[in-house]
Parts: sequence; structure tokens; C-alpha cells
Amino acid sequence: MFKTRHSLMVLVIVLLMSALAMPVYAQDGGEPVIAAQPCDEPGELTMWVWDEVWAGIIGESIEAWKADYCPGAEVTLEVQPWGQYWDLLKTNAAGGDLPDVFNMSQTNYFFYAENEALLNLQPYWDEYGVDTTIWGSGMVDPYRWGEDGDLFAAPVNWDTIAIFYNKDMFDAAGLDYPTADWDWNDFAEMAAALTDPEADVYGAAVYAEYQAGYPNWIAATGVTPVAEAGRAGCTLEEPGSLEALNFLKGLLDEGIMPDVSTVGGASPDDAFNFFASGKLAMVAGGSWKLSQALDEVPFNWDVVQLPRHPETGRSRSILHAVGYVASARTENPDLAANLILFLASDEGQRFFAEGGNVAPANPSPAIQQLWIDSFGETDINIQTFVDATIDSQGVTVFDEIWDAINSEIVVQIFDLGMDVEDAAAAACDVVEPYMVQ
Amino acid sequence: MLTSSRDLTVPIQILCYAILLAGAVVMIMPFVWMTSTACKPDIELNKLPVRWVPDNPVCGDNLDKLYDTSPNFNRYLLNSAIVTIGRTLGQLVTCSLAAYGFARFQFPGRNVIFALCLGLLMVPFQAILIPEYILIRELGWLDSFRALIIPGSFSAFALFLLRQAFLQIPLEIEEAATIDGANPLRVLWHVTLPMSVPALAAFAVITVQAAWNDFLYPLVVSSTPDTRVVTIGIALLQGERRTPWNLLMMGSFLATVPMMVLFLMLQRYFIAGISMGGVKR
Amino acid sequence: MTTAILNWLGPTPLSRRKALWGMALVAPNVLGLMFFFGLPVLMAFGTSFNEWNAIKPPRFVGLDNFERLLYEDSFEQALTNTFKLIALVVPAEILLALGVALLLNLPLRGRGVLRALYFLPVVTSTVAASVVWTGIFQPRYGILSQVLEPFGLGETKWLVEPGLVLIPVAVVAVWQRVGFDMVIFLAGLQTIPGVLYEAALIDGAGRWQRFRHVTLPMLSPTTFLVVVLAVINSFQIFDQVYVMTLRTVPGGVGGSATTLTYYLYRRAFTNSEFGYASAVALVLFAIILLVTVFQLRIQRRWVYYESEEG
Repeated sequence: MFKTRHSLMVLVIVLLMSALAMPVYAQDGGEPVIAAQPCDEPGELTMWVWDEVWAGIIGESIEAWKADYCPGAEVTLEVQPWGQYWDLLKTNAAGGDLPDVFNMSQTNYFFYAENEALLNLQPYWDEYGVDTTIWGSGMVDPYRWGEDGDLFAAPVNWDTIAIFYNKDMFDAAGLDYPTADWDWNDFAEMAAALTDPEADVYGAAVYAEYQAGYPNWIAATGVTPVAEAGRAGCTLEEPGSLEALNFLKGLLDEGIMPDVSTVGGASPDDAFNFFASGKLAMVAGGSWKLSQALDEVPFNWDVVQLPRHPETGRSRSILHAVGYVASARTENPDLAANLILFLASDEGQRFFAEGGNVAPANPSPAIQQLWIDSFGETDINIQTFVDATIDSQGVTVFDEIWDAINSEIVVQIFDLGMDVEDAAAAACDVVEPYMVQ
Repeated sequence: MLTSSRDLTVPIQILCYAILLAGAVVMIMPFVWMTSTACKPDIELNKLPVRWVPDNPVCGDNLDKLYDTSPNFNRYLLNSAIVTIGRTLGQLVTCSLAAYGFARFQFPGRNVIFALCLGLLMVPFQAILIPEYILIRELGWLDSFRALIIPGSFSAFALFLLRQAFLQIPLEIEEAATIDGANPLRVLWHVTLPMSVPALAAFAVITVQAAWNDFLYPLVVSSTPDTRVVTIGIALLQGERRTPWNLLMMGSFLATVPMMVLFLMLQRYFIAGISMGGVKR
Repeated sequence: MTTAILNWLGPTPLSRRKALWGMALVAPNVLGLMFFFGLPVLMAFGTSFNEWNAIKPPRFVGLDNFERLLYEDSFEQALTNTFKLIALVVPAEILLALGVALLLNLPLRGRGVLRALYFLPVVTSTVAASVVWTGIFQPRYGILSQVLEPFGLGETKWLVEPGLVLIPVAVVAVWQRVGFDMVIFLAGLQTIPGVLYEAALIDGAGRWQRFRHVTLPMLSPTTFLVVVLAVINSFQIFDQVYVMTLRTVPGGVGGSATTLTYYLYRRAFTNSEFGYASAVALVLFAIILLVTVFQLRIQRRWVYYESEEG
């Protein structure tokens, strides 16, 4: 009983603190936010990642770890194709061998945690003196498990969402550029003013997919999008959810937003290409789109925070953080934890920050600035993505319901014209069986 | 059926070409897009509507970029070639022997065994992915060419294909050789196989293509560049948040060209006459 | 004991010798197949009687997984979709492949290159096919919708309408398979002895009659092969579903494009229901087996073998 109350209290405090954004960037320079430490005993580890670019960066940081903190350690780094990573992981698990250390996503974490396949890193955080609340709640809460909210992963990076807008179109329409204090009504007005059926130009497309799409708008109303944390129930039929979906559907009905078929697909990439081709004035996009946009978008553009909900006054971004986890069956748990600590430390995260593209999870302002600087000379308001980590919403959905809430509901509402209430009910029918009763 | 273009009148020839070319356009569209995308600079990648010809082609740059991103790409191509040759030769031996056995010899349980082999064609590979991985792991073959070549040297499909071809060869020709006292292996080598050249060409085209394009199986049994094949190499170019279309398509292009060259070389064996030995007019 | 074995092999010394030869010839391939594929299949079938998520040890549940098949609507839907696709794909694929093979067997200039173009889809990257075909079927900007615009079908949402999505999936399946079948047909066409055509010409048979009475019957073993393979293959359509629904809803809106193979793969790897997925595979296997045995049975009515024994 005491334990439950205690963890509840911790949770409340964590939520409060993250909402107030106090601790995240409290530290400025000097002492590292997370300090790497020497390993007790070198040994061998196998590690899996799903991206060749990451593998290059992680390879460098592992070399640094071996040189400065764990001479004599051997790490076999294997890259698996992203498209098949999870299938391969399950295949290997079925054969009895998970890699010692591997990349994890918030949507897949639940399965492995529930089946006790992961090493509990909390004792190591305690031993190393790492206060796990220094990371934003959106980054770490989905990786907690058990009554005490033990943290089983170290977040590597974060992704947040903002609105990319075509400055040339704003200029042509004689509109001021949007600012961080804009709300839904401002957004709708601007989108309407920018829509030009004659020129085949739409005002905005912001609904597609879980991470960049409608859930951000639900989150702004104060509702946890789609599923309550810890699989505690479907939230799509709550008033806030319906309000957000109806707001977006209204823009579609007025011809301000194109439907899925017009855009060419239900992924945010499709909408983004539509934007880059000059057919959209505004689009919701992730921080991972920055480098592509800098390379490929042929007109003047910038990014702005997602508009605030008129009543709550909140602008909330879905945040996803990739994590490092260790297998519960690893033969070298101490070594695996030490490597993960290094990869999450200021020193290890430097490699990510300098590599660009991937925003480092380590909250040290120096590291965050390093990431912003990695894009070179630019007027683009990259800081807005960093700001969006503050009032962010971690991912509470998971693999089994992914298609239903990531694309099916989007296509039903924004292409086939289904009523928001019916589509939400249909999606909840899929989600509910997976909820903890 | 017809042996020279003299047998075809000009209007019929034109009609044939018209039909074939119309079909060919549909057949090659994705290939054309693949080739043109392989030569597009980043800035042209996602333009709408789709560009069939890049405004500013940069084939060479993209090729360099591909090898920068994937320094082992040639190794992957080589591995694919080794695996493909190994499997094709293996199947040629095991399947022509077995097809001959099924087509020409009566033995107890023949039809049941043949049906069992055919049955294996009916199990979707996705359903046995995990058992297959466990089997290879138990054999200690993970990450080896043994794993990539040996299981792929047996085939129910090639068995079926060659058996059907052998059944079409008139029995008298083989019987003549058998009466001369030749043992079955000699008959197979000197009579049956030479008479089945078109079927062997079809076998080669299909088997090589299947081995070269195999994806799921090599994915689960190999995990290092030493044994990785090109299909995996291409899949590795795509990240969670990155789809470098030009590099993906450049990789796919490099993987497709050998197949097309091989096809052009082999298709000439789809010619009547040479196979029919004694019956040839 | 020895006599029993001898009699089992055959009635005469010659037939016994032939039987031994036959068994020796088929042994390498048959044993290899049974070990490398038969064994995993048996393991998968064993899994179908268990509840297994790939991490926790399997739990024996008897026939529960099969019982679930009876009342899971999604299974019934996948089964129906699979049969619909077979009906759409198999006849179209075989007729087109036969037509193309016949045309490309004519002594036309440049037929080698044309054959290669028709074979291209077999080797073109799945991702490229996905991008181009979804582009073709896209409403508004797609090529198809521009062709259909005058008929008022320009806004048809081929890829998302549950009642339509199987059509693009079938189109891509046929597209990808024509070159494959063409190769087998081309090889089969070569084995038809030229003397038969000459005899038919002497008898005054026209083009159609020669096709009807020489080509078709002489090609029937090849046609049989193609039909059996086409049916097996279309029972297992997977890539095409993936390709055509990747950018909208994987597996189609409400599962409208989900085939049995796609269904079992998702159930296994997305939902970690490996036992249930194996049960689906077993049922799929049984259906294909029944259909193939039926085809083998009726082949005597229409397949003509130059040399089959007994």
C-alpha cells in the first residue's frame, strides 16, 4: 500500500515538474548532467541498432567508451534493417538469444517489459547517482515499469512536432507569420485565407498519422491521446478527443485541408511532399524532417510551435524517444548498464548532437545547443522543437493497435468521410481488448 | 509453330508489335521510375507530380553516395552472386536427378512422396520463419554461406518444373539409349537433359531470380556484412526516418541489371528445334 | 523378410532394379527438402497446439487455436479475400501469360528484348513497384484517374474503398506474375515437335485449328504446371498487399485487403500470437493441398503427356 502511494506521489511530482518545465534545462554548463563512469570489468557485448547512420555515430561513441572508460571491452555492433527490426528481434527471442544491448521504441517496449525480457536499469541509475527525472516525462515515462516506476531504458533522442509553413504563401496573402502564441482559431483563419482552389493550393494538412497528426491536437485539450498510459483505457471517445477530431474534420469539410487520397497517402511524409511541392501552406512535421527540408524545400519556409488550444492555452507535442535497453538474459549486465550509461551521458550524447538530424535526449543545454548548431547557418527556428519537449506527451500506444489508430482512423475520417463519433467508437473497439482491465 | 517472319504478313506483324509494346509500357513503368529516381538529386526526389526524367541528372554522384553510405555494397553483390550460383548448381543436380526419378521410374510410394514435396510449396514461408531460424541456429550455421546455400539447393518448384518437362519427351528416344545398355545417369546426361534445354533455361531464369531476390530467409540467418546479400544491403539504406529514394533506387538498379543481362543471355534458348533431337525435321 | 521387401519394390527383377534407381535418384532432393523445410513445417504445426508469444515458454492449449478460427471474423474475412483474389488473378494471369508467350514465340525482330521487358516486373524492386502503382491508382493526380475522368470515375478511391481495394492488389499480382508464367510457357512451346504443325498444314488446318488441335493439347502439361503454381502462388499473395496498402492502411481499411498469408504474418509478428498464426498456416496448407490434389486428379481429363508411364 505504502509502495503504491509512494509511486503515485512520485508520478504526480514528475508530471508537475515536467509540466512546469523546471528541471529539464536547469543546469547550465560546468558539471555534466549525466557523468560517464568507468566499468568494473571489461567483457563482450552484442548490440543491435536499426539505422546505418546511427550505427556510424554509435560506433564512434563505443570507441570512445572503450578507450576512456572500459579498455579491453569488445562490442559487436550489428545493424538490422528498420523495416524488419522488430520481426527479427522476436525471431531471435524465440530462438533464445536477444542481443545484450539494443534499441527500443516506446511502442514496442510494453511487450518486452511485460514478458520480463529486459534488464531493470533502475539499480544502476541509483548506483551511478543519476536522477531519472532530469529527462522530460515524455522521454522516460513510457519506459518505466513496475510499482516503483523503475526506468528500464535510457532515452537516446527525442522527436517533437511543429508546424512547417510556406513563408512565400503568407507573403502573397499578406498575412503575418504565425507566432508561438497562436491558437486553433488563428490557425483555422490563416489556413482558410491561404486556401486557393483555383491554384490547387490547400491551407494545411495536419491530421495524418499518430505522431505528427491528430493526437497532438487531442493532447492540447488535456486528454491523453488514444490510450491512457499503462493501457488504462481508450480515450478517443472522451469530449476532448472528439472536439479535436471534429475541429480537424471541419477544416477538411470546408476544403481547407485536402483528404488523404488527394495528398497521396496517410503518412506524414506524403503530406510533407505535398507541402514541399507547393500545394500546401502549412503542414505538421517532426524534428526529423529538418535536414530533409533544408535540403529539398525550394521556397522560403520556417517552423512554428503547434497552435494552442483556445481554452486550455496549451500547445502539446507528441514526443517519442528511442531508448537503449539491455536483455534480462545478458551475461554481462553490469557492463551492459555501464555502456548504456555512457551512451546517455554528456560525453556519449555529444556524438549524436554533432551528427545532427537526431536530437539528443540528454537535457544539458550545451548538448542541445550543439544539436541546433549542427544544422549550420540558418534562420529556421529550430529552437521551437526543443521548446516543444517541455509540454510534451509521451507515446502510450503500442504495436497491436498501431494500424487502427495510426492510419485506419485517419483514412476513415479524412478520406472516406466517416463521422468522427463513429470512427472513434470503431477505433476504441480495436483498442479496448488490449487494455488492462 | 512458325519458323520465319515470312510466314507473317505485315499487318499482322504490326498488330503483334502494337499489342506487345502497349503491354511492355505497363511492364516497365516501375523500372523506368526506379532508373530515373536513381539519377535524381535530393531536391527533385519528392516533387509532385512524379517526374519521369530528372531535370538535372546526377547518376555518378548518387553512385558515389551509395558507396559512401554503404561501403560494403560490392561485398553484398558478391555474396548474392555466390549464393545464387551455389543454389542454382545445387538445384540443378538435386532436382534434375529427382525429376528424372519421378518422371521415369516406378517405385513404392512415388506419388505420395511427390505430393509431399509439392506440399512444401504450399506452406507460406512466413509461417516457418521462426522454426527455420531455430533449425539453422541448432546446426550452428548462423551467419555462414552454408546456411545461405545448402537449404536453398533443394527445391520442390524446380522438381515440378523439370518433371513436367521430362514427361514431355517421347519415351522412345530414351528407350533406344537404354537398350544400348546405358545406365540411367548416362541417359539423363546424354539424352534427357540435352533435350530439355528450353526447360533448363526456364529453370535457370527462375531459380537465379528467386535466389538473387530472396529476402526473408537471408535476413534471419545472417547479420554481418561478410554474409549479407544485396537485398538486405538495399533494405539497410532505409532508416526509420530516412528514405533516400535515389540511393535506394540506385541500389535496386545495380541489383536488377545483372538479372536482366542474364535473362537476355538465357532467353535465346527458348528456341524450338534444338531440343527435339531425333524428331527434328 | 527379404522377400517381403523385394515384393514391395516390384514384381520382377527388372522392376525392382528400376525401383531402386528411382529411389536413389529422388533421395538427395527429397531428403534435403524434408530436413530443411519439412522439419520446420512440423515444428510450426506443433506450435499450432500451443499458446506462444516467442518469449515466454509455450503453453499447450490443445485445439483452442483452431476453435478460435471458427469465430474470428477477421479470419473469415481473410479467407474470403483470398478466394476473391484467386478468382481475379489466376485466369487473368494465365490468359495474359499464354498470349504474351505465343506472341513472343513468333519470329519477330527484337523479341528477345521484348521478352526481357515482360520479365522485368519479376525482378523490379518491390518498393519501386509500390511507389509507382500507388501513384497510378491515386485519385486526382494518378494516371488511371486521368484516363477514367471522362467516364466520371476520376475520383475513384481505389486504394481505400473496402469494396475496391482488391482490384489494384490483383492488378499488381498479375503484373508481377505474367513474366514468370511466360518463361515457363515459352519453354513449353519449344517442346512441341515441328512435324505436328507440318502434318496439320498438309491436312489444310488453319491458324486457329493448328492452335486448337496441336498447340493447346501439346502444351497442356506446361499449362497444368502453370495453373497449379498460379493457384498455389495466389493463395499466398503477400507482397502485393503490402505494396498497395503501405501508404494508406496496411492490410486495407477494415482488413479489406488482408489475405491469409498477410493475416498470419501480422498475427504472428505484430500480435505475438505465434500459436494462432500457425493454426492459420495449417488451415491454409490444408486448403491448398485439397485444391492441388483435386487438380492432380482431374488432370487426366485435359493434360496430354507424350510419354507418361502407367
